[in-house]
Amino acid sequence: MLLSFLQQLLLAFFGTISFGLLFHVPPRHFAACGIAGAAGWLVYWGMMQLQPSAVVASLVAVIPLTILTRVFAVTRRAPVTLFLIPGIFPLVPGAGIYYTAYAFITGDSAQFVLKGAETLKIAVALAMGIAVVMSVPMLPSNLRADRKKQ
Amino acid sequence: MNDQQRVLDFVMEAGEVLLKNGAEVSRTQQTMEIMAKSLGVDSFHGYVLTNGLFASMGADYGQPAQIRSVPASEVHLGRVEAVNDLSRRIAQGKLGLEQACQELEQIKNMAYAPKVQQILAGGLGSACFALLFGGAWQDGVIALLVGMGLQVFLQWMNRWGLNKLITKFLGAAFVALATMLLNLTGIGVQPDKSIIGALMYLVPGMAMMLSVRDLIMADFLSGTIRLLDALLTALCIACGVGLVLGLVNLIPGVML
Repeated sequence: MLLSFLQQLLLAFFGTISFGLLFHVPPRHFAACGIAGAAGWLVYWGMMQLQPSAVVASLVAVIPLTILTRVFAVTRRAPVTLFLIPGIFPLVPGAGIYYTAYAFITGDSAQFVLKGAETLKIAVALAMGIAVVMSVPMLPSNLRADRKKQ
Repeated sequence: MNDQQRVLDFVMEAGEVLLKNGAEVSRTQQTMEIMAKSLGVDSFHGYVLTNGLFASMGADYGQPAQIRSVPASEVHLGRVEAVNDLSRRIAQGKLGLEQACQELEQIKNMAYAPKVQQILAGGLGSACFALLFGGAWQDGVIALLVGMGLQVFLQWMNRWGLNKLITKFLGAAFVALATMLLNLTGIGVQPDKSIIGALMYLVPGMAMMLSVRDLIMADFLSGTIRLLDALLTALCIACGVGLVLGLVNLIPGVML
């Protein structure tokens, strides 16, 4: 259990960083990106051990991920986007897109509808999670004092 | 050129850099307004869309105004961060217009990560995702190769200047085809995991995320543009993979 936990952690961490590089995130933010991506994935993975729904797991996972990116945005003084774009990738339903296409090609209509609907639901769940966390107003803090002056 | 015109030029340029490189609409608009105000223009009005910038200075006759079309290009998040930092320093009064223009010029020329690094990152990322989604290590190796191949393929495709959707379609087809070919060697355990891992780079995660962020900031038009972008991209990927799988399926004796 611990071993597979570590394995998931490292894979998500490096997977996210690789994508960060592809979107040209400056190297000094790599670690933060990786932590955000790994956190999101680990919560997703944990949820999947507890219950079978990928939609629920995605929704639960995207919330700590987005909170973390907002924390990084303040502490590291960079836009949220910088962490959220690479960080969201482990949760994006790439598998759903593939299996939907696969079911369509093999003529399995039941699977096609099932997978297609699930993919869409995951996308909506991610969107809802991001939307909820991003709309919570930021707490005033000393770190933001200089921006407030404007 | 008077001062107001120069401020407008600078602010528009900064907005263009932000928008092109993956900033959301509200941030672009906000940054432009803050910059203009800090540089001494009080009556700046800007309107930002996913692919266009509109701005004017004041309502009097003869005041400068500008429109810019901002076509999609490769995303460079480092530039977004740099402009963000630039605007913060301008707002603090640490930078004048002259210096700010120079710095913006540097930001515009910030290098992309070297191609070799991109290829390696593409491979590593694909392998990590293939393993995360439950592939065996052999599938990870195949995803690594296909992911690197995909980056080379996309860099090569760049020369032809095809539109984004076609590029994603062909990229997805490439991933499926390359994985199928590598699996002919018999080392792969679950070809679907390798395909999914290598596909992740094409998946519209960024468009989806930007769409949500635009929509919750009530930039409905821009959010809708991004949403359509995300949906069409997903559809193109599915078609690209589907086409190859469908063709492979036609070959007698080959099971997916």
